[in-house]
Amino acid sequence: MNYRPYLLLAELTYRCPLHCPYCSNPARYPDGRELTTAEWQRVFREAAELGVLHAGLSGGEPLQRADLPELVATARQAGLYTNLITSAAGLNEARLGQLKAAGLDNIQISFQADQESSANRIAGAAMHRVKLAAARMVRAAGFPLTVNVVLHRDNIDRLEEIIALAEELEAERLELANVQFYGWAFRNRAALLPTRGQIAAAIPVAARARQRLLGRMHIIFVTPDYYSDRPKPCMDGWGRRFLTVNPAGEVLPCPTAKEIKELRFDNVRDHGLGWIWNESAAFRRFRGTEWMPLPCRECEFREVDFGGCRCQAALLAGDAGVTDPACALSPYRARLTEFVQAAQSPEAPDFAYRQNP
Amino acid sequence: MNTLTDQSQAVLARGVRLRADPLTGEPLLLFPEGVLPLDATTHDILLRCTGAMTLSGLLLALSEEYEAEPEVLRADVVQCLTQLRQEMLVVW
Repeated sequence: MNYRPYLLLAELTYRCPLHCPYCSNPARYPDGRELTTAEWQRVFREAAELGVLHAGLSGGEPLQRADLPELVATARQAGLYTNLITSAAGLNEARLGQLKAAGLDNIQISFQADQESSANRIAGAAMHRVKLAAARMVRAAGFPLTVNVVLHRDNIDRLEEIIALAEELEAERLELANVQFYGWAFRNRAALLPTRGQIAAAIPVAARARQRLLGRMHIIFVTPDYYSDRPKPCMDGWGRRFLTVNPAGEVLPCPTAKEIKELRFDNVRDHGLGWIWNESAAFRRFRGTEWMPLPCRECEFREVDFGGCRCQAALLAGDAGVTDPACALSPYRARLTEFVQAAQSPEAPDFAYRQNP
Repeated sequence: MNTLTDQSQAVLARGVRLRADPLTGEPLLLFPEGVLPLDATTHDILLRCTGAMTLSGLLLALSEEYEAEPEVLRADVVQCLTQLRQEMLVVW
């Protein structure tokens, strides 16, 4: 079977002026200097040749890279759909003009909450007003806008108001992403995991808003796997549709794959992207269904959820090669259940804020 | 949601674009975080969603192409555009 990547997530830098405790960046950053402009341009061209259609320009904060417009222009000229995934820190009219001229297709701005004090506390930086101003600039410049809000214990009770904020900003899309536990978020999971009651209250709020705003704002609500019996089809399968290139040039099947300590990831400085995608050991390790242990191997859902998330198996079971413990059939499910039970308490620890490399 | 009328002029929403698959030549609709492979009919409809053509005009143009009465095509075209609008891929 031939596999083809559709989406490249380009993590241009780990530098970021925000310190969100739910960041999925690795809590230990890899060594190595950031890829140069020319190296990224080669990555985008090789990705397009492989059949990639989308480039997500992310980080850290991608606007920290002075060469961002140049990179967008290269990706766009290679035919890729370009989406800037940003905190909005560093976005001004001059930069928006450059990005527009470069052909940028969409801008996604993260918000931490609807209220300034709460948003700034979660981000660990006074950014809320900057974001509001930036989102309005984005609209005025004629860009489509996606608002992304990571939902967690500290903001999910205000879902109604968060949706109203996105509506007021006239976003085409609102991604309500329940926090997932990798990188900094895994370190902070006791502070971030909502209670069962919070989730139960949020689901109908999102569903009602989705219906009410149909045709005006598309709402995507990602349900949390810690409260599910079935694992998520992580990345639509390992090495099946997605690839990430991190700031140091390592190529990963998913943005958090560095959680899997047994794997070594090849670098675009040493190999072409096509070889890494097709041949490298890391991409082949969990591709398809051959690698699967029981119960996945005989499960009727093995081509639906692909055994869930490899990083979560590594983090919770200590073995990336077993069924995702978010699955009720996993022999390690009790570890997740125990944690979820403990999180029902009204007490939660303080955030350990994300630090820069 | 805004009702689609004969005078509605459908257009691809901001940030949505049509392109041919570089590997297979098949028509695709690209939008933030997503890609929709298009069947021939949806592709024919979207090629005419330029913001200049009314729904009546669109039905007429398609009826010539498919050699069918516009009213026969109406239900399918309205359903197609309505579904695309729900995901903010087309507006009017």
